[in-house]
Amino acid sequence: MIGFLILSIFIGVVLVAFSAVIQKNLADSIILFMGVGLGSVVLFFIFNAPDVALTEAVIGAGISSFIFLMALKHLRSAS
Amino acid sequence: MFEFLNEAESIKIIVTVGSMALFFVGLFGLLTQKHLIKIFMSIAIMEVSLFLLFIGLTFNKDFTAPILGDGHTAFVAMNDPIPHAMILTAIVIGMAVLALGVSFTIEYYKLTGKTKIDEMTEMRH
Amino acid sequence: MSIKRNLPTSVMSGFALSAVFVLTLLNILLQNIPAQINTAGYELLKLNADDGVANAVTTVVVYFRGFDTLGEIAVLFIASLGIGHMLHLSDKCDLKEHSNFMLYTASKLLFPIITLFGVYVMVYGHLSPGGGFQGGVIIASGMLLLLISHKEFEVPHSLIVTLETLAGVSYVLIGLIALVVLDVFLGNFLPHDVSEMGLLLSGGVIPIIYIIVGIKVGSEMSSIVQNLIKRDANV
Repeated sequence: MIGFLILSIFIGVVLVAFSAVIQKNLADSIILFMGVGLGSVVLFFIFNAPDVALTEAVIGAGISSFIFLMALKHLRSAS
Repeated sequence: MFEFLNEAESIKIIVTVGSMALFFVGLFGLLTQKHLIKIFMSIAIMEVSLFLLFIGLTFNKDFTAPILGDGHTAFVAMNDPIPHAMILTAIVIGMAVLALGVSFTIEYYKLTGKTKIDEMTEMRH
Repeated sequence: MSIKRNLPTSVMSGFALSAVFVLTLLNILLQNIPAQINTAGYELLKLNADDGVANAVTTVVVYFRGFDTLGEIAVLFIASLGIGHMLHLSDKCDLKEHSNFMLYTASKLLFPIITLFGVYVMVYGHLSPGGGFQGGVIIASGMLLLLISHKEFEVPHSLIVTLETLAGVSYVLIGLIALVVLDVFLGNFLPHDVSEMGLLLSGGVIPIIYIIVGIKVGSEMSSIVQNLIKRDANV
């Protein structure tokens, strides 16, 4: 059961990352990057690493995505 | 039904192939994208793939997390805590470098108005 | 003449073939791990049972590898310094848009709960998953919620500077005190019994160091977040 779960989540994360890289719209790719962070948090929890999962959830899917969104706001407002 | 996927060898193969595929997705984005924010995002995806590789390779599905709780009273049959500590440091440092790079991008845009690397030609003669 | 970024298909297929080659090589190399490396973690867990706290990862980060944590704090400090230098505005300015009524009310309810949760994760870092980094960033995200929902809220710059300086200086001071008392930089000089493992006051100097790290990381992330938001308002 665990092997099948890990395989399916890995396939999902790779597909979401690929579609995040080839999007034309910048806002869409930032939201898909948050999906990569979410998938990696679930994987860290399955791998018996709760500290790393908590850190990745707070920093990767929280502050890092916020930094990208703020950059998007600056790049659009001053044009 | 998929019982052959639960052995230790199969999990190692799945983790290696999956994180290398994610690494190459990030590398593909780094080499072909032109917008600076997309380039930083590809670097972040490459870093996430390496974290998954490190922790997935020391995973043993019969053991438990390296924390005393839920009735455990001795430090036996636990996963290795050293990679967890290294990856904790790496996540924080990756975020700090990303924040600095993105603020450089914002300042450069405020100065010259360009974000695509095709148009950044100030250093050419 | 612009830089061409359209890679032809031959480059792409060579890319894919080299990816497969690297994968198989990595897989073969990682199957034969020497027995000494394979049991290093279990030796460390035995050391932890005599000397450390209930959370083995906290012991590794703060006590066995305390110097690396000092370097990581230095890296965060340099990044926050660079961002503050480029994006800081010293005059008082507020957001252009007025925020939603629901966001305004709900953020006033949620901010104490988020801060309390952050302090809990920080203080109980040696007994359950968590620690200084996670708790500090949770507190900074609570500040972020207040910053985007209130027009005239700002974290006072003097408070951030005071907290950050005091936390950084006291980390090095604790290390130097341990050097004087025990001849080991960042050693454990407070009394720590093995029988206390699992209680809140256990582990000697380890929870104190982690709380100091949490204060420093929280104030730095709040400063980074505030600089990124407030820069936009004056344009």
